[in-house]
Amino acid sequence: MNELKFKRQSIAGAGLGLRSSHYQEVFNTKPDVPWFELLSDNYMAEGGLPILRAEKIREDYPVTLHGVGMSLGAADPLNMDYLARLKALVNRLEPVYVSDHLAWVSTSAHYTHDLLPFPYTAFTLKHVSDRINQAQDFLGRELLVENPSSYLDFHATEMSEWEFIQGICKSTDCNLLIDINNIYVSAMNHGFDPYEYLNAIPADRVKEIHLAGYEKMEHYLFDTHGYQVHPPVWALYQAAIKRFGAIPTLIEWDTDIPDFTTLRAEALKAETIMKEVA
Amino acid sequence: MSDDVYKADQKILETAQVDSLQSLKQLQDDFYQAIFHPDKETIRQASTYIVGTDTLTQADRLTIYRDSILGGITAGLTGIYPVCVKLVGEKYFTHMVAGYLKEYPSGSPDLGQYGEYLSAYIAQFKPAKELVYLSDVAKLEWAWHQAFNAPDEDALSVDMTSLESEAKLTFKPVSEIKPISELEHIAEESFPDIIFKVVSSASLICSEYPVHHIWQVNQSDYEGDQSVSLDEGHARLIIWRSADYGMRIDELNENEYQFIEGLFEGKTFSYIAELAYPQALGEILQRCIQMGLIQGFSV
Repeated sequence: MNELKFKRQSIAGAGLGLRSSHYQEVFNTKPDVPWFELLSDNYMAEGGLPILRAEKIREDYPVTLHGVGMSLGAADPLNMDYLARLKALVNRLEPVYVSDHLAWVSTSAHYTHDLLPFPYTAFTLKHVSDRINQAQDFLGRELLVENPSSYLDFHATEMSEWEFIQGICKSTDCNLLIDINNIYVSAMNHGFDPYEYLNAIPADRVKEIHLAGYEKMEHYLFDTHGYQVHPPVWALYQAAIKRFGAIPTLIEWDTDIPDFTTLRAEALKAETIMKEVA
Repeated sequence: MSDDVYKADQKILETAQVDSLQSLKQLQDDFYQAIFHPDKETIRQASTYIVGTDTLTQADRLTIYRDSILGGITAGLTGIYPVCVKLVGEKYFTHMVAGYLKEYPSGSPDLGQYGEYLSAYIAQFKPAKELVYLSDVAKLEWAWHQAFNAPDEDALSVDMTSLESEAKLTFKPVSEIKPISELEHIAEESFPDIIFKVVSSASLICSEYPVHHIWQVNQSDYEGDQSVSLDEGHARLIIWRSADYGMRIDELNENEYQFIEGLFEGKTFSYIAELAYPQALGEILQRCIQMGLIQGFSV
């Protein structure tokens, strides 16, 4: 293995998603944040300021890389150009974890830039497992796979999402990024018990947790990442920490991004729960 | 189609399994069509895969995804084209993006690479016919976006010749390019064969309209008179990023524009010198070097 450039190679506590509106404050004040998550897709350009800033931040903080472009659930072949760029980014930033979603974003080489659901079937279980293995082999490291939030069910679905995740864990050695808000949103949208889901997740595979705020629409919950974490999601998070231990947790906030102090306050709530429950 | 036939058709599809790559691809292609080319038929086709409920029909569920997808892409393009959004308003821009998406699907997982042809789309977008300058403003904003994200002059590049498990990540030094400081060591007889290298972030824009001025008055930190007269006439611009990551838009005169255009085409100094220049060529070259636009050359 090559020698690593950066000192900080593990994460603990509640991190924050790094957004461009916060760069200056992070540079100037070096806030007491245990780690930052960077959206890999925002640093895919080969040069320019964004990647330079990311490297600068990496000097002071451990980071994770979180992406939406891998399209693990697509029928299309894996995009090797994307994976090569991701690998180059991984080499530059040495993230503690690299994650993407159980979703598809592309079909017939056309990209939707959004996380779309697919039916959970015996075929898709094998298909997605093969792709996770292929991506991990190419990147030369493990992936964390995240559960998405969803707004529809397919007639073709043969198993629940948690059974699908159990299957993935059997047929690959990937780890999991469990999004507590997504479990809650999908549970309310599809009428299943979020605690049943949580209790079925292989605990030893969970390496990171996401929290975010949903938006209540007339007939469904929508995962906007634009609000504080809602009380039922905090309750589910408590149960998660009790079951999984004090897993590094990230507050995601992508629309109507608040000031840094508000974000940090949300992260501190998670850290308090970690201390009290774990 | 009668209701009975429709129901029978739906029944068959409801029991269809996603048990092969082909059936997964069909489902995803049908879903894509219903999102980006929504009409009665594409929505009906995609709906057959989806479970509906009393409160949310299959079509409602597709709409949730359609709104989310279009919202995400529109937000991405708003980030690239903020002046165009300001000129036409958010609602108009969103409408334009929906049309653009139909004609120009995104071919990259990187949303930052999407939107290159918006200026071409605007040029033939009939409702924007009166806004004669809008297409060129879009061209300027794309050039800015490209320059902002351009590879650094000695960037790490990905060798795509290997798609095997080991991605070969190599520094590709631009070996034949010499730094401009070495120009003084070049023998005079070699001068005609010199090819000057413009920084790779740069794009040239020539417009009949004062697009630079329009762009300036629509910046969020601009203070002063917002009015721009189209009688101000054409703009010849170079949009680029300097070595210290500063973003630049420089106005060029006709000779400078022609000179840099020649360099972009990889023409030798002797070839460019043969073009008619009322202005001394040395002066033009000097200005380009002083600005930092030309940082290297090859012989």
